[in-house]
Amino acid sequence: MLKKYPTVRYVSLRAIWYFLTFLVAIALNFFLPRLGSDPVDIMMAQSSFSSPEIRKQTEENLRRDFGLVVVDKQGNIIRDESGNAIRASKFSQLLNYVGQVFQGDLGTSFRNQKPVSEIILQALPWTIALQFPAILLGWIFGNSLGALAAYKRGIFDKALFPFALLMSSIPFFVFGMVLVYFFGVVWKVFPAVGAYSLELMPGFSLDFLTSAAYHYVLPFFSIFLILAGGQAIGMRSMGIYELGTDYIKYAKWLGLKETRVLMYLFRNAMLPQLTGLALSIGQMVGGALITEMIFSYPGLGMAMLTAIQTNDYPVIQGVTLLITTCVLLANFTVDILIALLDPRVKASLAMDSK
Amino acid sequence: MSKILEVKDLSLHYLTRFGQKVHAVTDVSFTMNQGEILGIAGESGCGKSTLVNGLMGLFIPPLYPTGGDVLVGGESLMNRKPEDVRLNVLSQKVSMIPQGAFNALNPTRKIKDIAADVIAAHGSGQSVSKHQIYERLKERFDLFGMDTDHILNSYPIQLTAGERQRSVIGISTLLNPKVVIADEPTSALDVTTQKVVIKMIFDLLERNIFSTMIFITHELPLLRHVAHNIAIMYAGEFVEYGTSTQVVHDPRHPYTKALMGAMLSADAGQKHRKPTTIEGAPPSLAKTMVGCRFAERCPSARPECKQKTQSMRMVGERLVRCDYAE
Amino acid sequence: MLKLLKNLIKEPMFVIGSFLFLTTILAGLLGPSLYSAAPDGMSYESPSATYLLGTDNLGQDYVALLLRGLQNSLFVGFMAGIIATTIGTMVGLFAGFKGGLLDDILNMFTNLFIVIPSFVVLVLVSASWPEGRSLTLIAFLIGFTTWPWTARSVRAQAASLRGRDHISLARINGASNLQIIFKHILPYLASYVFMVFIMQVASGILSESAISMIGLGPIGEGATSLGVILNTAKNNSAITYGYWWGIFPAAIVITIIVFALYLLNNSMEGVFNPRLRK
Repeated sequence: MLKKYPTVRYVSLRAIWYFLTFLVAIALNFFLPRLGSDPVDIMMAQSSFSSPEIRKQTEENLRRDFGLVVVDKQGNIIRDESGNAIRASKFSQLLNYVGQVFQGDLGTSFRNQKPVSEIILQALPWTIALQFPAILLGWIFGNSLGALAAYKRGIFDKALFPFALLMSSIPFFVFGMVLVYFFGVVWKVFPAVGAYSLELMPGFSLDFLTSAAYHYVLPFFSIFLILAGGQAIGMRSMGIYELGTDYIKYAKWLGLKETRVLMYLFRNAMLPQLTGLALSIGQMVGGALITEMIFSYPGLGMAMLTAIQTNDYPVIQGVTLLITTCVLLANFTVDILIALLDPRVKASLAMDSK
Repeated sequence: MSKILEVKDLSLHYLTRFGQKVHAVTDVSFTMNQGEILGIAGESGCGKSTLVNGLMGLFIPPLYPTGGDVLVGGESLMNRKPEDVRLNVLSQKVSMIPQGAFNALNPTRKIKDIAADVIAAHGSGQSVSKHQIYERLKERFDLFGMDTDHILNSYPIQLTAGERQRSVIGISTLLNPKVVIADEPTSALDVTTQKVVIKMIFDLLERNIFSTMIFITHELPLLRHVAHNIAIMYAGEFVEYGTSTQVVHDPRHPYTKALMGAMLSADAGQKHRKPTTIEGAPPSLAKTMVGCRFAERCPSARPECKQKTQSMRMVGERLVRCDYAE
Repeated sequence: MLKLLKNLIKEPMFVIGSFLFLTTILAGLLGPSLYSAAPDGMSYESPSATYLLGTDNLGQDYVALLLRGLQNSLFVGFMAGIIATTIGTMVGLFAGFKGGLLDDILNMFTNLFIVIPSFVVLVLVSASWPEGRSLTLIAFLIGFTTWPWTARSVRAQAASLRGRDHISLARINGASNLQIIFKHILPYLASYVFMVFIMQVASGILSESAISMIGLGPIGEGATSLGVILNTAKNNSAITYGYWWGIFPAAIVITIIVFALYLLNNSMEGVFNPRLRK
C-alpha cells in the first residue's frame, strides 16, 4: 500500500528503526550502570547508619526502588521463608524498567527524594534554550564561512582555515573556561556563572529576561564558536570538492551570477554536512552539557554533574536516557530533512520501492 | 560572409602551485565565418579543453593568457573584467555544450530552474514573471520534439541520458549565442541517442538558433560528416588545418596520418586497413620545448626535427606544421 | 611512498603539525622522568622561579603534573585510538567487502552505536565503576564506544573497492575472502586507515578530558590526566579566584595535541585524497 508513497514509506521505516534503537538505548541505560558493581552496594558503602535495622531497611527500600527485588501489587517486598527479599531476575528487572519508562516514571532521586522526571523537567528548558540555538546557529554560521572559504580561496581562506582548525581542536568546555576567565573574572563584562541573578525569581519580568540574556552570552559563544570552527572545516573541504564538479564548471560557463553559483555550491555541499550533523550531534550535545557545568548553568549537564558527585543513579540514568532520546529525535529529523531536500535520495527511494 | 570569430596566435598557460608554467595552448590561429562549422580533433590532454576556456574569455586561475587575441564579432575577449565577460560574452556570444551532461546539470535543481538561472543571469534588469519564463522555455524546448513539461519539471536524475544531453543543449543555446562550442557532445551516449543528439544540433542550426559552431571530438570520422573545416591539435598546437575532405581523406602532417591510421574507419574501401597505434606519449608541456613537438613519435622524423621549431605553412592548399610534409 | 612523503614535506601544515606532535610526544614520553619536581609548596602559589607554572590546590608543582598528565592523556588517546581503529577497520572491511546479510547486520550495529551517543555510554559505564577506574579501563571504554565512526567510513571505502578489476581477478584466481581483504583491499586503504587512526587518537584525548571533567576520569596514584587537572582546578574554583595557571597550561596542551593531529590529518587528506575520490 505504501509503495505508492515512497517518502511516506521511508519515513515510517525510519521511525520504526529509531523506535527499535530507542529500545536498545533503554536496555543499555538499564544494564550499563549495573555492569561494574551493584549501585545499591555503592550507595550503602557511602552512607553511615545509626543501627543495623535502619541500614537493612534503607537497603531494601533502595533495592525495591531499583526494581532489584520482586514486589507484589501493593509494592511490598515478597520474602522467602527466612525473611530475605527475593531477588528479581535481570530480565524481569529490565521489563519492569521499560514499563516504568513508558509511563514516564524515571524513578526517585536518592539525594532529595524528588521524582527524577521533575528534576529533569526543571533542567530541560535551560538546556534546550542554550544548546538548540547554539548548535543550529553555529552550524549555519560555520557552514557559510566554510563555503565562502572554498569559493573565494586566496587570503580569506588562508586566514580562516588555520583559525577554524584551531578553534575546532579546542573542547567546548576548555574554551568556556577561557571565556569565563577573561570576560567573567578579569574584565568582569559578563557574569561568570549561573543562568540568571539569584536574587531574581524566574518569570516573564523584564529584569529576569535581561539578566538571563546577560548570563546567556558566554555559554552560548563557547558552544557556538567552537562548533562553527569544526563545521567550517568540514564545509570547506566539501565545497572544494563540489567546486571541481562539472555542474559548477558548467554554471560558470553559462555565465551564471556569482551569488547563484555560490548558492549551488552551498546547497549541494550542505547535504553531506547535514548528514554529518546527524552523526555528530550526540558528541556535540555531550560537549555542550559539560560546558553547562563550567558555567553552573542549571540545565541537564548540571543535574547530571550533581547526580554523579552524589552517586544519584536514578537521576544519572534519567538524564542519559533523555539525552539519547533527544539525539535520536534530532537524527530522525535530519534523516527526513535530507530525504526532502535531496532529489537524488528521493529518486533512490522511488527506485527502492519499485 | 562576415568574420564572426578570429583567433590570433592564442597562447595559454597554467601556473602550478610551485610557480611552474604549463603551456597548454601555443600559437593557435584560425578564423570562422558565420555559418561555419569547425571540427577540432586530437588525443585527450592535447589542450582542446583549455582552448575552449580561452575562446570564451574565461580565465579562472590557475589558467592565464600568455599572448594573442580572441575576437568575437570584432570585439576582443582579452583583458576584460571577469564580470564583463560573464554578463556580456558567456551564453550570449560564446556558449558551451559540455560533455557528460549528467554531471553538468546541478543534481539538486530542476531543468527549468537551471534554465531560468541562465535567463536571470543575463537579463537586463526588468522583472519577468515565473510564468513568462516558463512559457519562453516551453516554446524553445518544444522545438526538440520532447515531452517538454516532463523534462522542464524534472530533476536531472529523473531523466534519461539522451534527455539530459538534449536539456544541456537547450540550456546552452537558450540565448541564441553567436558561437557554440560543443565538447564531445555525443561521447558516453549509445549510438541511437548519438544520432538523435546530432540531429537536434543540426535542427537548431537550420532554425538559426545559432549558426557557427566549433565541434570538438576525438572521433575523426564523425567530424568529416559534420564539419566544414577541421583542425588537428597536438601538444597544444594546431598541426594541420584545412577542409574536412582535405584533412580526413588526404592528411599531410605525419601526426594526422598516424591519427587516421589509429582510427577504425567504417568507410568503404578502408576496411582492409588495419588500425595502427602511435608509439610513445605526447611531450610534457611543463618543459620548454625545442624543435617539433611530434618528433619523438614521428615515423618520418629527421635528426634536425628535434632542433628546428616548425611553423604552419601552406601544403596542398591547407596549413601544416611540418617542414617536410608534401 | 617516498614521493608521497616528499609531497607531504612541502606542505606547511604537515611540517607544523609534525613538529607540534613530535614535541608533545617527546615531552610526554621523557618529561616525567627527566623533570625533577619541586617539593610541595602552598596551595595555588603563583608562578615563580621555583614553580614555573605555580602549584595546584595541594601545593604540587604544576610542571610535573602537566608532564605526567600529558603522558597519561597520550596513553589513553593512543590506546583508545588503536582499539577503535582495529575494531572499526575490521568491521568496516568485512561489511564493505562481503556485502549482503553480514553487511546489513554489521551496518545495523554500526548505525545503532553511532546514533546512541558514546558520551552517554561512557558516563553510564564509568559511573558504575566508582573504584579502580584506571587509565587502561578508560582507554578501553573510549575505544569500545568510538569504533563505529571508523567502521562507517572504512566500509564505504571498502565497498567502493569491491567492484575493482584486480579484486575480481584475485577472486577468479581462487583467493579466499580473507586473502583478498588483507592482501588486496587493506593495502589500498592503508593511508586512509592511518588518517582515521589519527582522528581517533584526537577524539580519544578529547573524550578522556570530557569524561574527567564530569568527575568520571581515571582515579589512583599517578593517574593524573590533562582532563583531571582541569577538573581539579574547576572543583577548586581556580578560575573564579583568578588562578589562571590552574587552567591555561593544561587547556593549551590539550589544544596543541589535538590541533597538531588535525593539521596532520588535513595535510595528508590533501595529498592522499585525489586517488581516493575517484
